[in-house]
Amino acid sequence: MNDATLIRKNLFRKRLRAILLMVSILIAFLIFGVLGALQNAFTMGSGTAAQERLVTVNRINFTVALPYAYWGRIEQVEGVRNAAPASWFGGYYQEPQNFVQSFAVDPATYLEAYPTEIVLPPEERAAFLEGRTCALVGRALANQYDWSTGDRIPLNSNIWQNTDGSQTWELDICGVFDDTEGTYPTNYLMLHYEYFNESLAFGRDSFHWITINTEDPALNDQVSGEIDALFANSSAETSTTTEAAFNEAFMEQFGNIGLILTWVIGAAFATILMIVGTTMVMAVNERTREIAVLKTLGFTAPRIFRMVLWESLLLSFLGGLIGLGLATLAATAASSALAGFLPSFGLSLTNIVTALALMAALGLVTGILPAYNAMQVRISEALGKI
Amino acid sequence: MTDASGLYELKNLSKRYTRGKETVAIFDGLDMTISQGDFIAIMGPSGSGKTTLLNLLGGIDRPSSGEVLFEGQRIDNLGQGKLAKWRAKNAGFIFQFYNLMPTLSAAQNVELPLLLTNLSGKARKDRVKTALDIVGMVDRAGHRPAQLSGGQQQRVAIARAIVADPKVLLADEPTGDLDRTTADEILQTLQLLNKELGKTIIMVTHDPAAASYAARELHLNKGRFEEKGKA
Amino acid sequence: MLKQTIAVTLLNLRSIPQRWGMSLATVLSIALVVGVLLGFMAMASGFRATVDGAGADDVAVMLRGGAMAEMNSVVERNDVRLLEVAPGIAADESGEPIISAELFVVVDGIKRTSQTRANLALRGVGLSGPELRPQFSLVEGRMFEPGTAELVVGESVLREFDGFALGETIRLGSNEWTVVGVFSTGGSVFDSEIWADLGVIQNLYDRGSSVQTVRARLTSVEALEALQEYVENEPRLNLEVLSERAYFARSAGGTTNLIMFLGWPLAFAMAIGALAGAWNAMYASVDARTRELATLRAIGFGGFPAFVAAMAEALVLAFAGGLIGAVATFLLFDGVSASTLGSGFTQVVFAFAVTPDAVISGVILALIVGFLGGFVPALRAARIPLLAVHSD
Repeated sequence: MNDATLIRKNLFRKRLRAILLMVSILIAFLIFGVLGALQNAFTMGSGTAAQERLVTVNRINFTVALPYAYWGRIEQVEGVRNAAPASWFGGYYQEPQNFVQSFAVDPATYLEAYPTEIVLPPEERAAFLEGRTCALVGRALANQYDWSTGDRIPLNSNIWQNTDGSQTWELDICGVFDDTEGTYPTNYLMLHYEYFNESLAFGRDSFHWITINTEDPALNDQVSGEIDALFANSSAETSTTTEAAFNEAFMEQFGNIGLILTWVIGAAFATILMIVGTTMVMAVNERTREIAVLKTLGFTAPRIFRMVLWESLLLSFLGGLIGLGLATLAATAASSALAGFLPSFGLSLTNIVTALALMAALGLVTGILPAYNAMQVRISEALGKI
Repeated sequence: MTDASGLYELKNLSKRYTRGKETVAIFDGLDMTISQGDFIAIMGPSGSGKTTLLNLLGGIDRPSSGEVLFEGQRIDNLGQGKLAKWRAKNAGFIFQFYNLMPTLSAAQNVELPLLLTNLSGKARKDRVKTALDIVGMVDRAGHRPAQLSGGQQQRVAIARAIVADPKVLLADEPTGDLDRTTADEILQTLQLLNKELGKTIIMVTHDPAAASYAARELHLNKGRFEEKGKA
Repeated sequence: MLKQTIAVTLLNLRSIPQRWGMSLATVLSIALVVGVLLGFMAMASGFRATVDGAGADDVAVMLRGGAMAEMNSVVERNDVRLLEVAPGIAADESGEPIISAELFVVVDGIKRTSQTRANLALRGVGLSGPELRPQFSLVEGRMFEPGTAELVVGESVLREFDGFALGETIRLGSNEWTVVGVFSTGGSVFDSEIWADLGVIQNLYDRGSSVQTVRARLTSVEALEALQEYVENEPRLNLEVLSERAYFARSAGGTTNLIMFLGWPLAFAMAIGALAGAWNAMYASVDARTRELATLRAIGFGGFPAFVAAMAEALVLAFAGGLIGAVATFLLFDGVSASTLGSGFTQVVFAFAVTPDAVISGVILALIVGFLGGFVPALRAARIPLLAVHSD
């Protein structure tokens, strides 16, 4: 036996009460974990690499097209290493409800733009670059529709019309790409811009954005300024920002998701703070007499203070870790359920570290008052008589 | 630093409480010496300050003025932390209502004071066994307090009081909640501890039968001692 | 029995302040649960009210087949001519069909709250545009002059976006526009739009003579079928025809479902947390009164009144929590303006609406939490043994 035995026995003195408290803590960390993972999905694409890439769109709005010729002119701008044009395809599979995020891209420059993010076997890469009707599909999307390499699929567009009068492009799936550890969305499809463009009934020879890699991130401000100056006062002015800023602004369009999530998590934690805090005070008050006995036996006040604090920490970590574990499972499940709308998501290291810090904070905050009360117990008063 | 005659020395001890606007003096200018190996019963009407005296001797309360010396050293002016260490080393406590931890087994209750020592797990186990053996409770080592009778609980409490080998045992009405037969058994155990192991015992009681087990009886009345010779 | 029950219940309720810490924690945690639920519901119903509130049954909306949203639709000038002679469309005094061909460009505005760029709908309309929105009125300024680069902005745009005040000049792409008026359509989704002359927009944004949607006033609600039949049987037309109400309902569905898809599970999870709290508080309450309850049993009270009394305490705490949560949500969120990306891929400005239905749902949720949290402790209260009279 040691102090840890005492702490554990005290915590589970009323087993039901301890379990109820743990459940409420568990719930708060479950909410924290799942919402944190969800937020990761929304902020994915704001990483360091994205801060170094630039995106050029039409100044009116990114849904408004830019002329094809801009690609060549942007490639000429000093400091531009790679420029990858892309167009919205607005795809759906079989039924309009089966939304497929899809872009028509120039294959070579696009893969060059995401050298570490897009992970692809060399033979699939070669096949995609070669085949005019080839499409490259992200892992999450491929799983959603059960597509695999070699499949031929008709992909419909809710924006474009094919010269044959249909809105369908026949595509061969030449590869399925992965990402490196959840840093890049794999819930979209890319097809050859050439194949797409040549059979367009209207709106040919234009694209919606260009992703740019510069020779050196230090040149970014200069490059983006030069590009926008190049097309100033033309009929299609441009706006060039970092990819991260572009993604953030896009996510911001949904509303201040971060703020909403913070409110919810705040409410969940306020709840457990009150429940656990008051219960701990009550639980320690119930033991006043025992604490007085421990003190009589020679347990010092600081030692008793620490024991109560460890008790609330133990409670917090037990509930918190189980909650975090469940959150990981729930995030995985939600991630596959929402694969069509959001990139795959999970808990990041930051989430886990924050959660651990919150567990410690919760344990300390809920433990400090009862621990202080315990420390202040006066033996002669608590025992009445020794 | 010690002489056999003076384990405790109380010098001009006063204790006053403030209740509202009134100041009540429990005792005023009390002097007393307790020798090593004594078994003293302190008797007196309620409110006479028996328990307060025991608290002062046990280092869980402080006098308003005067000195409490233990083995020639003052303990009345020690800080809370030092006092706690002093209690762990020197004093064993026995309460009227046993005050065992309900969540711990008998053995674990006895082991509690050893958590304050540097003894190894093995050494602690041996000590606990010895202490339980002395009070005749080895076969109940795994029981929770709720599974024990009052007398058995008090035996476990005594084992807890002696397990760290303190110099003095302080007992407050140790048989106050027990029937006559059980009380006698408990008192015999205390007597044994005094005689065989040489423990100094100071016991507060209002029961003359219990007091008769002690070597010396002191009557506390209005803050003064009236010693009664032992028959 | 009734008298006993009332007596014990009152005794119970009067003792709540003695355990104010636990009771308050229970009340507030239930309030937070209800607050979260109502917050999401207010968001969903506010959004829905804005998006499908203005949908009329006697206005038809026509889009290119399969386009789903206005942004993706293209309707050629020839198609519009064919629609002008379609059956079921109402005519004005001069006998012209009440029909509005409209164009829709997404432009960037700067959101006030975040100072980031967000999609705004710039709608090109003819003079019949306002006619098809019965609640249309100019709040400030005047209507744009056809053929000029003048704009009128919806009042929601003015509220949520920078730079659209009356008289200001705005650059959208390479074109300068002047704001000459502010309009309202009574809080509908059009208040989140900017309107300008159709011809000017076709010119400035290279749209030729094509438009994206056609709206028409129907002679009656039933006339929709005749129009749909006409379009279907006309081989030159590949259009989808639906009532404005149906069109808006379809647009609102996704977002409101998403909000509630998030809101209910969250509220539910938090409710379980609060349940644990309520359960604990009720246990503490029963524990604290063990002796009192046993004494009552000893002098002849039954177990049932003790059960009812404990349940009443739980429900009173829960009800108080639900009410506080509802009132706080109403005060904090009702009418708060927010905007999100609607299904038209443009910002929809809406106001949080705490509806009576939502408040009722919230209070019911609170009472369920109270009931479940109180049930087991109440059973315990009813079963307290007589011997507990002696407990300390």
